[in-house]
Amino acid sequence: MPLREESPNASPSPNASPDMDPSPSPSPFTDTGVGVGARTASRPAARNRVSRTRRTDLVVGGLLSLLAFAGLFPYLFMFVASFKDNEQFYASYWTPAWPVHLGNYAVAWEKVSPYLFTSFVVAGLATAGALVLATAAAHVFARFRFPGRNVLFGLVAALLMVPSITSLIPLFILMRDLEILDTRLVLIIPHITGNTVFGIVVMRTYMAQLPEEIFEAARVDGAGGIRVFVSLMLPLARPVIGTVALVTVLGVWNDYFWPLLTVQTDEFRTIPAGLAFFANQNAQQWGPLFAGYALASLPLLLLFTFLSKWFLAGIQGGIVSGK
Amino acid sequence: MISRKASPGRRRVPWGVYLVLLPTFVVLAVFAYYPALSGMLHSFYEWRPGFSSPFVGLENFVTMLGDDVWWESFRNVGIIFIWATTLMWAFPLLAAELVMSLSSERLRFVFRTLLILPLAFPAVVNVLLWQFMYDPRDGVINSFLRAVGLDGLAHNWIGDPDTALAALMTVGFPWVASLPFLVFLSALQNVPAEIYQAAAVDGAGRLRRFWSIDLPMMLRDVKLLLVLAVIAVLQYGLQAHIMTKGGPDNATQVPVLRMLDAAFLDTSWGYAAALGTVLFVLTLGVSVGALLIGKRGGKGATA
Repeated sequence: MPLREESPNASPSPNASPDMDPSPSPSPFTDTGVGVGARTASRPAARNRVSRTRRTDLVVGGLLSLLAFAGLFPYLFMFVASFKDNEQFYASYWTPAWPVHLGNYAVAWEKVSPYLFTSFVVAGLATAGALVLATAAAHVFARFRFPGRNVLFGLVAALLMVPSITSLIPLFILMRDLEILDTRLVLIIPHITGNTVFGIVVMRTYMAQLPEEIFEAARVDGAGGIRVFVSLMLPLARPVIGTVALVTVLGVWNDYFWPLLTVQTDEFRTIPAGLAFFANQNAQQWGPLFAGYALASLPLLLLFTFLSKWFLAGIQGGIVSGK
Repeated sequence: MISRKASPGRRRVPWGVYLVLLPTFVVLAVFAYYPALSGMLHSFYEWRPGFSSPFVGLENFVTMLGDDVWWESFRNVGIIFIWATTLMWAFPLLAAELVMSLSSERLRFVFRTLLILPLAFPAVVNVLLWQFMYDPRDGVINSFLRAVGLDGLAHNWIGDPDTALAALMTVGFPWVASLPFLVFLSALQNVPAEIYQAAAVDGAGRLRRFWSIDLPMMLRDVKLLLVLAVIAVLQYGLQAHIMTKGGPDNATQVPVLRMLDAAFLDTSWGYAAALGTVLFVLTLGVSVGALLIGKRGGKGATA
């Protein structure tokens, strides 16, 4: 804990918790092991310090609460308003209203569930496709030496420099020529390509730093190439596989323009384009509208709750890779 | 096996690897390399998909030079960039400093989680909620102004060309649930405790410590954030498309929307491809430029 301003030389400080009674623990001054006399003498100073720490925490915590509240306010408003009918929405605009109208969620589910279903299908298949292609290719790039390895890898990495938005128009024409516009397949393919590229680059780095001895040992034991990949590499690479999977899911959940342009059939829309359409169709129906937003948010919220570490790595990876 | 290890140079070529790479490269060739190259190539054509497309040389780029809406979109992108690298960094920076000023690890964890929680919502939900915040009749902002008696200030925020762009950029206020916050926070966490202790012994106050320790420590990350900001701003479009469609009166026009309009409204596919190529070249220029500057800076530092 580098930032304890109040006790500069107290790195192993036992009074890290501001609620702790300072007297049994040595004050920052006595850390260095001064005599008993010094300890008793510094007691008021220690108490003073702790109360200053607590005061800093209160002020800082207050300011942070304000920032957190400002950031979360739209979502809080959404949750509260999603249980109101329109009458309650206007009558008690700022406060929760009784009785709650769970029916809003039933109405919204009818409209939003097809988008959720398509999003699950697209995210699932895109993740599966990208992981199959990327793990195999990354494994080969990381653990084999062969002519053309660096050139081929450079060709893959170069694609990271091409932002998806610049290929949008030609990719659209290609899909038109292939006659797969307005299908779920057209939504899946760009996420497979994009995340295969991103996946190969990050996985190769990760796989290359695994110690060679493990693989040598497996080969001595008679494991073939495929066996080494499946029962050794894949389990070892689980963290980076998880990150790539989350980047893919986040990408599907945040990609707006591609589904907007390529898909007309309502149930083929993924969440972003679908929800924007839903918002236009249900303008001024505030309760069901907010219930729909909440339902669309639920899957990512669950991911964030249960996989928060991977989730954050996914966000950083996704943004850094330019998606 | 031993002989293989002894002479890696004469190791036989593992032909199987090419078989493993084949599917990946087939997919990338069709859906990544081909569209990217096709887009650049068709910048020089009057592209009429399904029909014969005549070569027109630089005509699309000449059209672009005279395209007022396109240039207006770049003025807006400039404003968005300045906003994105000042105000939209100031709040995350403040929040990161505040979090690190807390005394207990548990409090830090709680506030960090609360501050980044908005990241767990889909971007489109964020934009749609802010669209509601700005709703002239029922939105939170105007309702609040009326509730506190400031009816005169109530305003059609995204319908007025004077306020539309600022309203778009305010989406997500205070922008703490963002990559800059995560980057600033991890930079501060990586400052060795000894440096702070030494500074405290020297009697450096909180502000002094910020200027002399925290900011220099973050400088490397700021460079990366700057490059990412340029790339992100060039691709800015979600908020504008949902909330204003580039209007009113092109006040929120951005390059991506202009490109999509050229393709899907005017069906000038070649022109849209040219605009996409320009965006690509700009992005590439920024990335490569940053890489070169970063390399030179790194060499200067080590020399």
